[in-house]
Amino acid sequence: MKAILAIAKRLIASDKISFIITALVVLCATSSGDVVLSNGNYTWLLAVLSPFFFVFYDFKKFIHLGASKRDYFFGCLISYGILAFCVSLVNTVIHLLVDPAYSARTVINLMDVCKWMENGIIAAGLQQMFFLLLVMIFLHVLLSMQTHWYGWLTDALLAAIICIFTPIAPLRAVLAGFFQMIMVNGNAVLHICICLLLSAALSLGGIVVLKRKTL
Amino acid sequence: MIELKQVTKQYGQAAVLKNITLSIDEPGIYCLLGRNGAGKTTLLKSIAGYQNITDGTIKVDGKAITTSTLDTGVSYIENFAKHFNLPVQKLLRIASEVNPSYDYDFASEMMERFELDGKKKFNHLSLGMKTMVSTMICLASNKEVILLDEPVLGFDAIMRVEFYDMLAESFQKHPRIIIVSTHIIEEIAKTIQKLIIIDKGSVRFFDTLQSVETKAFSISGLQKDVEAATQNLNIIGQDTVGGLVTSYIFDNPPKETAFLEVHPLSLQDFFIQMVGYKGGIRR
Repeated sequence: MKAILAIAKRLIASDKISFIITALVVLCATSSGDVVLSNGNYTWLLAVLSPFFFVFYDFKKFIHLGASKRDYFFGCLISYGILAFCVSLVNTVIHLLVDPAYSARTVINLMDVCKWMENGIIAAGLQQMFFLLLVMIFLHVLLSMQTHWYGWLTDALLAAIICIFTPIAPLRAVLAGFFQMIMVNGNAVLHICICLLLSAALSLGGIVVLKRKTL
Repeated sequence: MIELKQVTKQYGQAAVLKNITLSIDEPGIYCLLGRNGAGKTTLLKSIAGYQNITDGTIKVDGKAITTSTLDTGVSYIENFAKHFNLPVQKLLRIASEVNPSYDYDFASEMMERFELDGKKKFNHLSLGMKTMVSTMICLASNKEVILLDEPVLGFDAIMRVEFYDMLAESFQKHPRIIIVSTHIIEEIAKTIQKLIIIDKGSVRFFDTLQSVETKAFSISGLQKDVEAATQNLNIIGQDTVGGLVTSYIFDNPPKETAFLEVHPLSLQDFFIQMVGYKGGIRR
């Protein structure tokens, strides 16, 4: 466990570029008009950027330091959990303290769009956290596959699903239903359970991918 | 213990390892020799579980090794291994944190002995120093199998001597299987116990260094005398210059006579004869 925690600590510490880019975007993003986007939304950028560095930049380095593949993977999962918590916390604080400052304008924060705020601030924060955890694990697995043919196949499949399901009304409803289930979900317990289940399933997939990973 | 059974590795149509069967049972420092492209790195990477083999099995301490093995118990370091761009001291500390069996004291002691500036970041080190840091991390990992792929590349003569001392000390402190691949043959001879020679993906020789010292000889003389003396011996190579013939044997040497000159082979000459090539022409 000590090794896993040490890996998680180093993963987060070496994720400086993601932190800097996210901070810059959050601080510098501006909107005009009566309807503005909350700067807190941009904190999600960290959840998108971090898996890139964990997969492409850090993996080999940990193996060269003598870490095992297993410890690296669990270290990544713990890091994603910590990052999801931090991003969720920051966005929630921004939504509570900064967004109301735009009194004359309508501020759009994804926590409202996804109906999470209907369940109160704590439940909304948790929903956001587990959703971001799911996003990060999904990206981790997808990125880990990119050096193999099945990674490209998965990319093509995902693109095909979006391209085919979007224009055809019945299929679009299926796609919308899926996103409502994992993202725009007002039922906090159900949403968290779905995110956790999908995260667990993707993690198992991630182990399979890791087992095929060469150096 | 490392056990390879009929190991074959192919890249497309090209077989890099050909049906290798090898068993390394005892702790010791083993030297892996082979020409460029002989399959040394592929062999070491396969034992480390960095890549899969096409056919056969590899076991380390009874555990099958493939890329699926999440904890191999093998530490492998390659040339130009990348590390976090952190001060050396911090890098060694992180290595001790991510690896439960790591010997931090050994790594720190080596860092001082090699006069490595602990505050200097990894990317600011010279090639030789980077390799030294990687090697220190690998040796300090204390895993049961240590694989060093051309660790002395980029080392000056003094660093190489210090490296061989470090290798010997590390082994004395924690006896285990250490395999070192190198091209600088004579220098490592004092440190190693056994020699593995691979050529074109096959193991050509696996025995103790002592056996090379006691059995590898050159026998020079007139063709008829040399042929008569080496008739039932294991000849590994031959040179002809004018009417003089030199046969290289790996066997019990014949008695020296007035017509024959018998000399022990150096490790390098033995290696050259075993891989059997000179100027691209097979002898």
